[in-house]
Amino acid sequence: MLTTSIVVPAIASVLILGFPRGRERFTRWFAFGVSLVPLILMIVAWIRFEGGPGFELVESVPWIPSIGVTYQVGIDGLSLPLLALTALLFSASIVFPVDLKGRAPQYFAAFLFLEAASLGLFLALDLILFFVFFDLSLVGMYFLIAIWGHGDAHRSALKFFIYTLVGSLALLLGILGIYLNSGDTATFDMIKIISTQPIPATGLASVLIFWAIAFAFMVKTPLAPFHTWLPPAHVDAPAPASTILAGVLLKMGTYGFVRILLQVMPETFDRFALPIAVIAVISIIYGAMVAMAQTNLKRLVAYTSVNHMGYVILGVAVAATLAAPSEARSIALTGATIEMVAHGLITGALFLLTGSVLARAKTYEMGELGGLAAKAPALTGITLVAAFASLGLPGLAGFVAEFQIFAGTLAVYPWLAAIGLLGIVITAALFLRMVQRVFLGPLPDRWSLWTDLGPWEIAALAPMMVLIVVIGVVPAWLIDVINSASKFMTGG
Amino acid sequence: MTVWLPILIPVLGSALIGGLRRKSRLLGPIAVASAAATSLAAVAVALSESTTTWSWGGGIELGLAAVDAGRVMVVLVPLVATAVIAFAASSMSEDQGLGRLLVLLTAFVGAMELLVLASDFLTLLIGWELVGATSWALIGHDWRNPKSLISAKEAFVTTRFGDIGLYIAAGATFAATGTFSYDALASSSDQLWLGIVAGGIIVAAAAKSAQLPFSPWLFSAMAGPTPVSALLHSATMVAAGGYALIRLQPALSVVPWFGTTVVALGLLTALAGGLVAYAQTDFKKALAGSTSAQYGLMLVAAGAGFTAAGMGQLTAHAFFKALLFLGAGVAQHAAGTLDLGKLRLGRALPQIAVLFGIGAVALAAVPPLGAAFSKEAVLAAAVESGAWVGAGVVVAGILSALYASRLHLLAFGRGDITEVEAGPTRVETVSLAFLAAATLALSLLWLPGGEELLEDLTGGDLAEGKPWELLVSLGGITAAVALVWTLFKRGSLVTGGLPDPVRRFMAGWFGLPASAKHVIVDPMLRTSRGWSKGDVSVIDGAVRALAAAALGASGGLRRGVEKLVDGVVWALAGGTVRTADMSRDVDEIGVDGAVEGVATAIGYGGQQSQRSQSGMSHDYYTVMVVGGLVAVAVAAVWR
Repeated sequence: MLTTSIVVPAIASVLILGFPRGRERFTRWFAFGVSLVPLILMIVAWIRFEGGPGFELVESVPWIPSIGVTYQVGIDGLSLPLLALTALLFSASIVFPVDLKGRAPQYFAAFLFLEAASLGLFLALDLILFFVFFDLSLVGMYFLIAIWGHGDAHRSALKFFIYTLVGSLALLLGILGIYLNSGDTATFDMIKIISTQPIPATGLASVLIFWAIAFAFMVKTPLAPFHTWLPPAHVDAPAPASTILAGVLLKMGTYGFVRILLQVMPETFDRFALPIAVIAVISIIYGAMVAMAQTNLKRLVAYTSVNHMGYVILGVAVAATLAAPSEARSIALTGATIEMVAHGLITGALFLLTGSVLARAKTYEMGELGGLAAKAPALTGITLVAAFASLGLPGLAGFVAEFQIFAGTLAVYPWLAAIGLLGIVITAALFLRMVQRVFLGPLPDRWSLWTDLGPWEIAALAPMMVLIVVIGVVPAWLIDVINSASKFMTGG
Repeated sequence: MTVWLPILIPVLGSALIGGLRRKSRLLGPIAVASAAATSLAAVAVALSESTTTWSWGGGIELGLAAVDAGRVMVVLVPLVATAVIAFAASSMSEDQGLGRLLVLLTAFVGAMELLVLASDFLTLLIGWELVGATSWALIGHDWRNPKSLISAKEAFVTTRFGDIGLYIAAGATFAATGTFSYDALASSSDQLWLGIVAGGIIVAAAAKSAQLPFSPWLFSAMAGPTPVSALLHSATMVAAGGYALIRLQPALSVVPWFGTTVVALGLLTALAGGLVAYAQTDFKKALAGSTSAQYGLMLVAAGAGFTAAGMGQLTAHAFFKALLFLGAGVAQHAAGTLDLGKLRLGRALPQIAVLFGIGAVALAAVPPLGAAFSKEAVLAAAVESGAWVGAGVVVAGILSALYASRLHLLAFGRGDITEVEAGPTRVETVSLAFLAAATLALSLLWLPGGEELLEDLTGGDLAEGKPWELLVSLGGITAAVALVWTLFKRGSLVTGGLPDPVRRFMAGWFGLPASAKHVIVDPMLRTSRGWSKGDVSVIDGAVRALAAAALGASGGLRRGVEKLVDGVVWALAGGTVRTADMSRDVDEIGVDGAVEGVATAIGYGGQQSQRSQSGMSHDYYTVMVVGGLVAVAVAAVWR
């Protein structure tokens, strides 16, 4: 069943290339229909999910048996919410209207290809398989930015590609390191590696492996100071691609931190939990401070991602601190995972909204906007909810995540928690400024003909907004699924 | 489950109002009805002391409970809101965004009730921040006006800074007990974590209740419509800080410095706020200064351990402060200004002058009003915690009497204005009358059994009052009123008899907003811009330099490799050709042709490999290798 969710979009992405160029509507509907398959499968998986320790619904086939590579997929409380998020964001992004530059088949092919790669990554339970999907996702996103982007799209796409490719090389070295250092049991099978913990906790090898992989994921996540590929990539990408980049691709980094670093080499992570937590807090403050100075709406949202990914990694680093009480580690890890989902929904929505602004204003410069609330109540209302969710207002998804992260962190690294909490004040200031500059105040004459969101834009945004509110108000259904994995990983 | 009703009714009411047409005649009636229904539900909840819990997920249980001070508070909030919402519905037209205002005011009540009923820190924080966000929307109600937006943002960001304290308190409670519940905290004996909880709560409460050094945000809050101020200052938002300290005092009193710190903070703000209120010439800002001061008195009582006194003061203040603000709203509407030098509407608005007068007398704490009873209870509590504290509260009481009488004379004294175009509507007058009646009704507390009643209702204690305390207070009030009357007769009451620079300095919170701007806000913005520039020039610059270096290295490498490959290929090709040449001489033509074919192929291959090497992929892989090496090097150095 899980494999189907990878194969269907993958095959469809090849088929769709044969579609005639002119029939954009039909192609979109087809792509949307295909994207519903993984979404439905993930809902079914959610229903069938039992929430015990370890992986469920595992499918395994030998691939290169001579070196222990298997095609192996499965889910747990960590990957399931991310998979559901991925499927949802792809469906929403495919619906969202955007200038296809006359190349509808290629656009939707790239999207479905990327969806297959993304789902594959979160499903993969083999290190080589994980690596393959990690690299394939770069290719899909590269084309989406380079071809359907705007501004200096080629340059931004290339920068994104090279920077994260450097990271993925480090990841490959790290994976090979794990393989070579696991003695007689040498395998890439993650289930086996997680249960046997073959990497010795001490010694140079484990340190090198840890930092190689951590580097790869710090670039992908991204954490300061490895984030500078992110703003140009976002600004020049088409809105739906930005949504996927922020909502899904960044999560590959944070997911990797948990799945590979925390689960495969917990004792090594424990040794470096504090430096990683410090880097995370730096990202929180730095991302928020730099975001506050932005005049470009999309760049502002991009930098808030650095801030939010800082929260995630802070939670993960707390969970990695073995000496800490297991309740604190567990609540922090659950918070971090919710943050991945919440950020995907919230920032994903914000990026779609920047696309709506660009389509009407032809600019992202906030200085040229203003007063839009008078003309576009839906655009204003949805942005307001997303902005408040992003600054962590209770009753919305971001708070659920950030509260749990900080509650856990305070018990383990009180000073880092106190500094990190300044982030919620800075994000409050910057989002209120943004809302004020773009939507409130007097309406400039040139926007007197501004049109509100269209039905397709609302259709794409609605499910995301509903989930943001539902998770914020009644989070138990999500927390309990995630908690099954967090408890297992933190020995609670 | 009834404990949910005071939260659900306003939330549903708010949604219902939001669903009505903008011009609907039902806007006001539904809003008032929902506030009134909330009050009834709140009474039922307070009487039944009902509690409930629900699952947040991950084994965390959240709770609501109507206990102790919460039983009074849960009724107080919707009761005051009913009057204020009725006033708002009557004073504002649909074109001024009445629908939006009523949606927000009603939701505001729901959020505040959640805060009041919370029996754990997570629920408290949820209500706490929702109240803050709703305040932002209410203060920025006039959203086309950039000024009111700036004020709204300032209010939200300042109070959110204080919210950090609540996050910390919640986290510390979790660290100490593994839950967020108040009860678990009360039974904890971990001094370190309890201290952190206490510190966090004090910061959060100080920010919310406009205590020093956060007080000036209340000035910004004046940008909202008057009913917003009336509700914000009386039973919601600002009340949250004082309420939280009163509610949590029993759990935190074991922290040795908790009481002292709260008393000191409250007393300092009571004195400073009193001076601000006395010196202000803006009607609403003068009232705002007095709000800080009055909450300061509540903090003194709570810090001294006599929560019943604090809660009594909070209750009395809620009614009379809402009354005073609504009075200010009427004055502003009638005179078109809030400048205390230009009002004196006593002749034009005699009814309002009387109603406002009741509020002012309460503010001055003149017996037999209930406000005087609670004020004396605060004084008794203060005396218990030290003679100096008692003396401070006496001075603060004199200041209250000074600014209360000054406000009344300047705003509703008998002046030259005999008639105004825009007088109050009947509903507005009734709203004021309702609040005045409640203020008067609290006088019953002076009757025998009043003390026991207050202690029972709030679940707290009162200090034993001494007769001389009342005498000192009365003397202070008399002297203050006499002074104000003299100044009024001399015509110098607007300046309060103070030299202008001094008065301005006092009226502007002693330069606090300006120093906050210079010390915190401006440097933050400068840093933000500086880091933003540095992000492109330094951090990304380093990445670009690294990439350029890698490309340079790759270029050098490429030239070297190309020469090598070329050399080898051409040597091989040349060698083969030469061999072929030789073999042509020696061998047959068929063999010769084959060899020559191979040679051509190799030569072609050489050219091809050269071409692919100068393609971009070559550069990428060099970058990759260099990047990988850097990563490994970093890892090695770190160790």
